[in-house]
Amino acid sequence: MVDFVKRDKNDIFNRPILGFVFKNKKFLLGIRIAVALLFFYAVFYGFMNPAKENIFTGAVFWILFWPLFMLLTLPTFGRIFCGICPHGFLGKYITALGLKKTMPKWMQNRYIGIFLLIVGWWGAYYVFPGFLTSPLGTAGLFAGMTAVAFIVYYSYKDMSYCKYICPIGTMCRAYDKLSFTKLETYTDSCRECKTFECASSCPYHLKPFSFAAKNHTDDCTLCMECANACEAVKFKFTKPAHILGQKFKALNAEVWAFILILAAIPVAMTFAHGLERSTIAQEMIWNKTAAFFGMSEYGVGFAFVYAIVLSVFFAVLGLWLASIALKKDFNTTFSTLGYAFAPLFILGSLGHTLEMFFVKDYATLVKGFAQAFGFAAEAMPLAKRGDAWLHYFGFLRWIGVIWTQILLYKRLKLIDSTRMRKILGYIFASLLVIFFIGINIYRGYVFKVYGVKAADHSHHMGGQSIAQRPSYATSSSQPRDNGGEILDFKNSIKAGDLIYFTNSDPKATSKDSRTRMYGGNPMAAPTQKVWLVYGENFGQNECVGKLDGELLLYDTLNKEKPVKSALQYNCAAYSFEMPHNGYYNLFFNSSKIEENTLHYKSAKLEFLNGSHGLTDVYEAHKSQPFIAEKNRIDLIRLRNKKEDSFFYTHSSGDLLRFKALLNNKPLANAGIKVFINTGWTREFKTDKEGIVEFNIIKDYFPKWSEFDKRHKEMMLISLSYTDDAEGVLDGVDYNKIKYTLTYPLSFYPNESEYKSYQDGLIIAVLTLLLASFVAYRFRRNRTKPFAEVRYDEK
Amino acid sequence: MMKNKIKNIINNMPLNKVRFWIQLVMFILFAYGGYVFIDFGSSIPIFACPYNRETGATCYFMPLQHQLAMPANVLFGAAAISVFIGLLTFIAWFVVLNKAWCGYACPFGTLQDWITALRKKLGIRYSTYSQPQFDKLSKIKYIFLAIVIMIPLLMGIGVLGGEWSGAFCQICPARIISPMFVGDFSQWKIDFSSVAAMILTTIGVLFAAVFFVGSFIKKRFFCFFCPMSALHYTMSDLSLLKLRKDGDKCTKCGDCYKVCDMQIKDIADDVTSTNILRDDCMFCMKCVAACPEDDALHVDILNMRVFSSTKEGFAKRMGMSHLEKNNDQ
Repeated sequence: MVDFVKRDKNDIFNRPILGFVFKNKKFLLGIRIAVALLFFYAVFYGFMNPAKENIFTGAVFWILFWPLFMLLTLPTFGRIFCGICPHGFLGKYITALGLKKTMPKWMQNRYIGIFLLIVGWWGAYYVFPGFLTSPLGTAGLFAGMTAVAFIVYYSYKDMSYCKYICPIGTMCRAYDKLSFTKLETYTDSCRECKTFECASSCPYHLKPFSFAAKNHTDDCTLCMECANACEAVKFKFTKPAHILGQKFKALNAEVWAFILILAAIPVAMTFAHGLERSTIAQEMIWNKTAAFFGMSEYGVGFAFVYAIVLSVFFAVLGLWLASIALKKDFNTTFSTLGYAFAPLFILGSLGHTLEMFFVKDYATLVKGFAQAFGFAAEAMPLAKRGDAWLHYFGFLRWIGVIWTQILLYKRLKLIDSTRMRKILGYIFASLLVIFFIGINIYRGYVFKVYGVKAADHSHHMGGQSIAQRPSYATSSSQPRDNGGEILDFKNSIKAGDLIYFTNSDPKATSKDSRTRMYGGNPMAAPTQKVWLVYGENFGQNECVGKLDGELLLYDTLNKEKPVKSALQYNCAAYSFEMPHNGYYNLFFNSSKIEENTLHYKSAKLEFLNGSHGLTDVYEAHKSQPFIAEKNRIDLIRLRNKKEDSFFYTHSSGDLLRFKALLNNKPLANAGIKVFINTGWTREFKTDKEGIVEFNIIKDYFPKWSEFDKRHKEMMLISLSYTDDAEGVLDGVDYNKIKYTLTYPLSFYPNESEYKSYQDGLIIAVLTLLLASFVAYRFRRNRTKPFAEVRYDEK
Repeated sequence: MMKNKIKNIINNMPLNKVRFWIQLVMFILFAYGGYVFIDFGSSIPIFACPYNRETGATCYFMPLQHQLAMPANVLFGAAAISVFIGLLTFIAWFVVLNKAWCGYACPFGTLQDWITALRKKLGIRYSTYSQPQFDKLSKIKYIFLAIVIMIPLLMGIGVLGGEWSGAFCQICPARIISPMFVGDFSQWKIDFSSVAAMILTTIGVLFAAVFFVGSFIKKRFFCFFCPMSALHYTMSDLSLLKLRKDGDKCTKCGDCYKVCDMQIKDIADDVTSTNILRDDCMFCMKCVAACPEDDALHVDILNMRVFSSTKEGFAKRMGMSHLEKNNDQ
């Protein structure tokens, strides 16, 4: 026995809080009693309240213990659940009183526990859904397990129940290897020990002093009896999955636990809860098989069987091929490489569990405890389904996949073979991972292509992927009521109305109607969507539903290009592709006669495309104004010298210059009216050359705290001119033509409104002076000479 | 024969001169490439700052911050592909030169070397950190790297608003100084549009001012805090170019440490590890040139020695023959 050791830095027993939690005898006893009381009360409560209203029993067993606590602790601190498990806690005392016989050989088989877990629990769960998770089913299951456990504890020595019969015993032992902790001893101190308190205090009769050399901890349940018996026991932090990076005595049962649990939980869930919800569920092989045997109502049960069969098939096939590639016998390959599959299940399901915890399990848990202990608590879910940050939990699944591949690489290092063989072996051994990724992608594909059944979905555990969550990318815009009729210019729009293009959705309810799309095909050309709207004043958007004029689009090379149109909520939306960076000109021309006047209305949109993906270079000729010869009336913006990139935006204070044209000739003395969406307007007249000049006004005066430098304001410039010309259109005479053309523009606050050169330079100069002064003083006042550099000669 | 000749020429080259010319060419390429329509894309592992209108490439942190700031559901959807492609392109560039991007290509690094040259001309001595200072300050670059990655992610989940866009760029001195290469001094402004912007741009101006003083008295002052250097280090194992040391041949004379602009002590002290590249290293290879032992330090591409320390090369670079002649007289 060792009374005192100088503990390492990474020893958890050396940490103030964690050391207390893991080592203090009274604290551990208190925790165990509390957990045991909770366990038995939940079982008792389940028997007393077998009705569905009882949410407490389910919450304790199917939210708190499993999956939340188990999944959180196994890949982090290890199998600490075993350390506080009521069966193990009471079993220790029962064994002490009991017969202490040796377990018969046929029972010393870890596959009993695995079989109970996979078939007894998961199999039953899929075949008879809802039975085992009901309050009565849960209570019955755990009461039965407790009875079996206590009988086995009473009969046999060394806590054999935990090792062989407990359904989660082998599973915990297996996944514990992923944790970043390890129990072992200070071997230097142990060398002189003759009394072996650690071994004699261990209820499992393990030898903690051998853990360091063995590189694993056998069936240790982290009960910490040894740590309290001898000071030389340490519980240390390691790198995650440290054990798996090195050689240790492998146990095939553990590898089977990894494969079968992966099959029974994430894979079977993908089949039974994922694909089963798609509209083509009946086409899935398990439902067809069930129908073939005339047991259609057990389709989900068959899905479970298929999940097991397929997973085992791919795992064994992959490892068998790897064993051939590596020229090793199958058993060695299986037990060496199979350990790499450990993170696959646990991280994917952990992500899902955490997500469900925030979305609903937390509220259920609080309500359950409130119900059972008779206190009032109203718990709201901590997050809504679809909150952006929940997506990060979905990421854990892919970390699991990557971790598996890294572990596979590390485990391959333990096998000696040639490099080429190892590369081949690596690919073959990844077959199960590829299968796992494949079904996830397949489910996403099925959901996207065939859709999900309308029936609602409720479940509470297991692994689901990103694709299964409801999509919230879809627009929530509701059609604004305009009587449902499709409006067109000729019949509905008054002659005095302004008609113009806008690139913000007139029917969008939210203010932030971004037309930019993320993602998608990176090779596709960016597309701009615009709407044609009209109104008595600028800003009162009613959209045009039907086009009855000509629509012309000129691309950056001034060539005519087609425009796509689509009807959305009775609004016509026009979209055009922009394969190049530069100016695109869109025109809408329409005419109608009212009271002997021909109203010729034009809407113009000059759109500057600046997409980062495109490699066009800004050249002078691209900024030259474009004159569309087809147009009878046009308003051309003459660009200033500041506009030297595809990403130029207007800002308040800028000088705008326009040239008005009628039949491609300068139009003098035409009326120009400028509108801003805040209501401000002003009128100008064009000069002899047809040119008009004005500055964009500043019309944004928020409080400083609310200032937004990306505040976008809309401006509309309308050109109107009346020409006394006579003619006939569609058989109707007119003696006057009233031309109007609109040109929309957006602008932002000027940089000078929020950026200060002066302050920047003052700060810079002061810092420069201060830093120079400090450096100078520091060096001048240094009386000590430079320290000589010494190299340690070891 | 031929091979040995070439090897000799390389091993005996005057590294400082070669490096100066490479740096000059790279500086022109990356700082002024835009004038002749050079564009190496947006995943370049150096501070080729796009705030400089005429930059010949774009620093990878710019697209990275923009990509990571996408809404989380978009980021983990189809857009993940573009993020991944960006990262792969970055790695593809990086594996070619390893950290030599810092020592040979980074315009911001080159600028610091030139400031150091100016200080030398003026005859002012330089400063160094003490070892404890070095150990503490050396971690700052990882904090900056965390800013580069975490702030956009927090924007993506809606914790931080749009005013945090490109947060690291706002505090990066390269944003303020790089445009000055083409006569654009406009980045010295303080942005008052929001509290976050105000704080970030103020810090940026402070850093830029400190940069000039710091790099004047300390060699490669900023590189020590550079998050790009930290990102490089996380991937340096992937690189084809390796800086290796043969500890058996090392006599611990400390010449390599003395020439090291980054004050990396391991280069002289560590005789056990073969891969001697440390997170502060900028792969300038001055240590290799300064090493008087045959093959004690060498630069490998795919395990092929391309530049290694030799007695002969050392003697040549030190001008020993010249010294001996003088002694004879």
